[in-house]
Amino acid sequence: MKELHFEYSMKLEFETPVEKHRFTLKCVPRSDKRQKILDLNIDVYPKEFLSTDEDSFGNQCIYGYSEGFHDHFSVSLSGRALCGLSSCEDDAKEARIGLFRYQSEYTKPGPEITAFTNSIQVEDTASDLDRAIHYMKALYGRFSYVPRVTTINTTAEEAFAGGCGVCQDYSHILLSMCRMRQIPCRYVVGMLMGEGESHAWVEICQNGVWIPLDPTNNLIVEDQHIKISSGRDYKDCLVNQGIFMGQTLQRQKVYVLVREERM
Amino acid sequence: MKNMDLCRHTDTVNELLARYGVKFGIYKNNEFHEQLFPFDAVPRVIDKEEFAYLEKGLKQRVMALNCFIRDIYGEKQIVRDHVVPEEFIFASSGYLAQCEGVLPPKGIYAHIAGIDLVQGKNDEWYILEDNLRVPSGASYPMIARDLCRKSSPSTFKEYHIEDNRNYAQLLRNTMDYVNTGGHTVILTPGRYNAAYFEHSYLAEKTGAHLVTGNQLIVENDYLYFIDYSGKKERVGAVYRRISDEYLDPMNFKEESLIGIPHIYDIFRKGNVALLNAPGNGVADDKGIYYFVPKMIRYYLDEEPILQNAPTYLPFYEQDMAYVLEHFDHLVLKDVAEAGGYGVVFGDKMTKEEKENFIGLLKKEPRRFIAQEIIDFKDIDILDQGQWVPRKADLRAFVLMGEEPVVWKSGLTRFSRNPDSFIVNSSQGGGFKDTWVLSQ
Repeated sequence: MKELHFEYSMKLEFETPVEKHRFTLKCVPRSDKRQKILDLNIDVYPKEFLSTDEDSFGNQCIYGYSEGFHDHFSVSLSGRALCGLSSCEDDAKEARIGLFRYQSEYTKPGPEITAFTNSIQVEDTASDLDRAIHYMKALYGRFSYVPRVTTINTTAEEAFAGGCGVCQDYSHILLSMCRMRQIPCRYVVGMLMGEGESHAWVEICQNGVWIPLDPTNNLIVEDQHIKISSGRDYKDCLVNQGIFMGQTLQRQKVYVLVREERM
Repeated sequence: MKNMDLCRHTDTVNELLARYGVKFGIYKNNEFHEQLFPFDAVPRVIDKEEFAYLEKGLKQRVMALNCFIRDIYGEKQIVRDHVVPEEFIFASSGYLAQCEGVLPPKGIYAHIAGIDLVQGKNDEWYILEDNLRVPSGASYPMIARDLCRKSSPSTFKEYHIEDNRNYAQLLRNTMDYVNTGGHTVILTPGRYNAAYFEHSYLAEKTGAHLVTGNQLIVENDYLYFIDYSGKKERVGAVYRRISDEYLDPMNFKEESLIGIPHIYDIFRKGNVALLNAPGNGVADDKGIYYFVPKMIRYYLDEEPILQNAPTYLPFYEQDMAYVLEHFDHLVLKDVAEAGGYGVVFGDKMTKEEKENFIGLLKKEPRRFIAQEIIDFKDIDILDQGQWVPRKADLRAFVLMGEEPVVWKSGLTRFSRNPDSFIVNSSQGGGFKDTWVLSQ
């Protein structure tokens, strides 16, 4: 168990100002069985018309609308979280488990993932979690971490065929492999100890609970990860989604810092 | 009936329909064309007792379908109890995960249902399809009846027919029943939509505002209509004639320019009613159709009054064996297609086409359903002064308010081609009025 201090900031700069900006933010971590959010400060700019709700995947959402011209958009949050309180996330809602058993837009396997998954020998008696861990290990051996070769639109199959990518790709490929075997699993967005960008991993449902695995680092998640949101794939967990009026170039900067609090 | 005065006015009625702009648009090769919807004056006549029977069966069906949608986006008991297999839900394109756990105002999902039926030669009615997304067609018999009454008043003195011009009132009641406070609007994608005539006609007749997406705005968790002077007025009910995918770029297809950003988020909060509710497509999938009689037994504990056309699901091994054995006597439908597309007849395929199709069927059994070809009862049409029999179906409209109501009329579509079974207007068919006798 660790007490972690976290900071997350995202800034979108517009070269020429934009207006009528609508956005949905899914950037708010919440307490569950594995993590407890101790304090949380959120700051959004511009902040006219803000409201909040929970989406169909249980993620905290902030909705907003800014009518006037603005040259940047930013969100920052900071707080403390107690992590690793349990090895699993909240109990799965029974009626919604099935939803995560089927391939989604990003995870549909093509010939490469299909052949790779079929080539991995796992005992028939293996539990879903054991099988997923097997797949994670095999994937870790086969796929390399290389930033900036894939994009946010790269599918699992495309990334796998290319042989390298980032946490989003590792996660989509592992989801694709598990779903080929009807194992319910979901995509998770969150923060990992250290400094850098946001992170992604997966959760496997076994015996009615969600168990997190981090395929990028080939490990079972313990107390170094702070979860923000989950869904079928990347698309359900967009940290910031927005539309606005204006012809402009935009630059996005994301900064994440997670460090252990000295107890 | 062959001497009916109305029959002498077919051309007049068609000319008037053209003048009123009763058209539908078709996109073909990236071009937009408007076509007239040919009207045939010989009505489909349903007598009082027979309609009472249809009415009972249709209400029962739509009640069960509503229960099903509520269950699917909630506890999914029908899946847990193994009545409907899970893959028919989650792998269906009509199922939208964004709708999980969202309960629309008054718990109604299918406010306006268009149920397609055919009558067999044995006089038995069969359900062909349930349309629960944005079913269109009610405006055609509405305006046709109005024009027929003007062209031949004597016909309507001679026959005792239920007046179908109350559809607007029924629709208004349905919209008002779920309205969460404020104006009622009909949301159209615009004048290049296939059913634009209908959108404008229904708005005129119900007194709702006809709006496009850019006239609506979400602010502080409520929906507002911006009128011509720039004033914002709250909206409590949206009869949307835009499909789910394009309704809200923040929740569904992000490239949609005709939708309203964040409308689905305030719907989730119960601050506006959307008719029909998003996510309904999970219940009118052709694969799910097979399970509707089972739903009626499951949710209502009643025997289905109206029958499905005999249908096989190649997904089940036993049904697959039957389909392969009786291939030439069946019609096969791709569950993802609509509007008469993706329908093939076993006996009309060449040997090669058949082999390819069977290969595909074995590879993706969930994608298809097979049905016995129903020997439709033909109904007469007037073709250049001659009475000739043609295939026809009936789209009945069921409106859900506090109780379901079946409109005492319907859209009868017919195939103008004597050899065709496909009556869809997008495939060049015509339409008739549907008379329900009042005594």
